[in-house]
Amino acid sequence: MSHDAFPYPIPEYGTEPYWEACNQERLVMQRCTVCAKFRWHPAPLCTHCGDDRHTWEPLSGRGKIITWTVITHPIHPAAFSRVPYVVVEVEFDEQPGLRMLSNLVDIKPEHIAFDAPVKVGFMTHPVGQKLPIFRPA
Amino acid sequence: MERAVSDHWCAGRRTFEIIAMESIHDQACIVGIGHTEYSKDSGRSELKLACEAIGAAIADAGLKPSDIDGIAKYTMDNNDPIDIARNLGIPHLRYFAEVAYGGGGGPVGTIMLAAMAVATGQAKAVVAFRAMNERSGRGTPRFGQAPTSEGAAGVYSYLNPYGLFSPAQMVGLAARRHMHLYGTESRHFGEIAVTCRHHANMNPNAMMHGRPMTIDDHQNSRMIADPVRLKHSPVFIAAGGLGAGEWNHRSIVKNVESRESESTVIAKTMFKDAGITHDDIDVLFIYDHFAPLVLMALEDYGFCKRGEGKDFIGDGKRFRWPDGDLPLNTSGGNLSEGYMHGMQNTIEAVRQLRGAARCQVKDARYAFVSSGNAVPTSAMILRRDA
Repeated sequence: MSHDAFPYPIPEYGTEPYWEACNQERLVMQRCTVCAKFRWHPAPLCTHCGDDRHTWEPLSGRGKIITWTVITHPIHPAAFSRVPYVVVEVEFDEQPGLRMLSNLVDIKPEHIAFDAPVKVGFMTHPVGQKLPIFRPA
Repeated sequence: MERAVSDHWCAGRRTFEIIAMESIHDQACIVGIGHTEYSKDSGRSELKLACEAIGAAIADAGLKPSDIDGIAKYTMDNNDPIDIARNLGIPHLRYFAEVAYGGGGGPVGTIMLAAMAVATGQAKAVVAFRAMNERSGRGTPRFGQAPTSEGAAGVYSYLNPYGLFSPAQMVGLAARRHMHLYGTESRHFGEIAVTCRHHANMNPNAMMHGRPMTIDDHQNSRMIADPVRLKHSPVFIAAGGLGAGEWNHRSIVKNVESRESESTVIAKTMFKDAGITHDDIDVLFIYDHFAPLVLMALEDYGFCKRGEGKDFIGDGKRFRWPDGDLPLNTSGGNLSEGYMHGMQNTIEAVRQLRGAARCQVKDARYAFVSSGNAVPTSAMILRRDA
């Protein structure tokens, strides 16, 4: 691998189901067995109640735009050919406050709006790992 | 850092006073400050810079190296406390510590570690310092660079694959949300940057001395990670000084809606412990890594309500010495004096309270000093004797 790509994710112990589901183009998250809350990013204990029991459950992949930044200044070698690109924070329909960071694609920066609906898609990193990204719904 | 009250722990029968200590209030004081010049290429090692700055502070305090028995450092500082002790002639250390998240958490965090050691009798005189060469260093690690590794682990595995790396990019996300929720505009952030530059132009030791900047210059500056502009970003430097800090934070990107932030946790008890209110603060030192975060700090520390930062800042004139009612970062701050990870603000706060600042606030008695927010942070109030 060269500087042509952003760093690929190295799955931590216990987070493999997240990345494996991505490779099947499914977005899954841990859901606490006790309080039923989802959490992002994958974590060993529930960030709401602290219990470690959970199941991996699929999400609709639908949500709305909370905030975004248009990155115009490349600080990584792979960014030079990509700028401008958009990093977005999305809140999922399933649970208020359930938010994740990703890229927003297939939209011009000037057309991005708060609360606009988005839907998950997947892009493939050169190492083969698929990554959840978002597009206008 | 020396203990202000020295007789508390002398007698065993008074041990209960240690347990009864409710806060750090008046338990320790800053007795010396020192710094080198600030530059983009110091031409000497970080160890040399640290020793020069610490040596100056020890002399300023009227102490000798042999009086020092503790060192508190930033986690990111590349200097080893033992190297510093060896070179300065500090014969033995009874205390050494480093503050997590320092980086930005260091300028007050190191001071708090030192103060706690002094207050509990673990040490008598503790040095808190930061020294760095950054871009001009010879192989010493540098802050704020994108990773060169091909893989990203831990929390970075959820960020780096998307091209999300730097604090500026994170701040862009939080700043845009704040603008959306509260009607804050880019020019409000700009007035903070303009204020720092205004003060730097009265400070010959400042990196940005002789380089005035207007709000129009700010508004026309290059975008880095929209809405964060070039002029919000710090001037990285290559030199050293002294300073201090503490902490708090939960999510990856600062959530500007959550009721409790790293700063509100501190503010909850700090003013009470100091026995004053916000109105008693004579001069403000808010850690200025990014102008939007200075606005958020003003809100979180309770100088104004959440969402009212834009009105508190207004046209920014209130922050500018000599006419402003609440001068801010009077030596130019990270943004314009030099990016010493906030230590220059602590030094300037001490100068203000000594009546020895260039932009001296008349009769300054209380100074508020914060470390970098949007990560676990620290803040303190300094005062002078009446």
